[in-house]
Amino acid sequence: MERNPMRRQLQVMRKSLFDQGYLDEQFVQLEELQDDANPNFVEEVVTLYFRDSARLILNIEQALERKPFDFNKLDGYMHQFKGSSSSIGAKRVKAESTLFREYCKSGNGEGCMRTFQQLKKEYATLRKKLEAYFQVARQAGPMETACRPK
Amino acid sequence: MTMEEKMGVSSREDDGKDQFPNGMRVLAVDDDPICVEVLENLLRKCRYQVATTNQAITALKMLRENRNRYYLVITDVNMPDMDGFKLLELVGLELDLPVVLLSAHSDTELVMKGITHGACDYLLKPVSSEELKNTWQHVVRRKKPDSKDQIFAENRDKAQGGTGEVGQTLMSSSDKKFIKERKDQIEDEEDEGDDNEDENEDPSTQKKPRVV
Repeated sequence: MERNPMRRQLQVMRKSLFDQGYLDEQFVQLEELQDDANPNFVEEVVTLYFRDSARLILNIEQALERKPFDFNKLDGYMHQFKGSSSSIGAKRVKAESTLFREYCKSGNGEGCMRTFQQLKKEYATLRKKLEAYFQVARQAGPMETACRPK
Repeated sequence: MTMEEKMGVSSREDDGKDQFPNGMRVLAVDDDPICVEVLENLLRKCRYQVATTNQAITALKMLRENRNRYYLVITDVNMPDMDGFKLLELVGLELDLPVVLLSAHSDTELVMKGITHGACDYLLKPVSSEELKNTWQHVVRRKKPDSKDQIFAENRDKAQGGTGEVGQTLMSSSDKKFIKERKDQIEDEEDEGDDNEDENEDPSTQKKPRVV
């Protein structure tokens, strides 16, 4: 039983992220890679993800402004976006990427645009939630050393 | 993580006495920085020694410069400078190293393309440490049946910085023969039964008809 209230809050937040389908098992893989030698691994990777994928989102946005759509190009961007999103366990974002790809394959421009809007929403929500989560994580400090002076 | 570890050099004192597959040198290639970061850490968790690059061209250079250094290449298929299939082909032709492909997509055609181009495995992103834990098997499979001893010897040699090629392994003609025999075996299995339709996920039951 976690006695530190901050860590309890963290656990609640974490559980909610999984229960509501924002994160999947892959996030746990990242957590398992975090250890004393690599104490901030998860936050580092997630930060890297949001930084890097912002670029991809912009590329897709710009590509969607050019008609007729270059579905191959769009698919290419989305392939990479899906890859990195799945690498951090971003479940909902990944699902939208898959849907986007289906629309690309069938040449459905409307579908692409609609899905992309939805994707951006999920992405923004995830970002907010994870930022809040890491903020609490930093305050909560490492599990066993909650009482150790910093 | 120590500086040595970050550079992919084991800081363990018994480097070189690592029992294979620990310490196995792997080259990971992916243009996506997040995927590279995660993959690198997953591979380290499996006790492999990892080098990474985000360009296929650089990967080829690294492999060619030091032909005996790496045991296995893991590469994404979708890269801007050269796609993974091309890299696979070149690595297979020139260096005869096992290559594992990674992709965010699991389309049958892509998986088929990977296998027929000689990939020893095709993994769907995101990969887990469980999947990578056993990837060393592809190194053993590529070589002669009694090659386990060779690998221990090689490992020792490589660790000693040796260029010594103890019973060296890049036996292109016998490996090619092995691959041909394996393909023939797969075709024979196809003739025997057609119950397994869409088992893309299971590489051990590759019963897809050969694409001509």
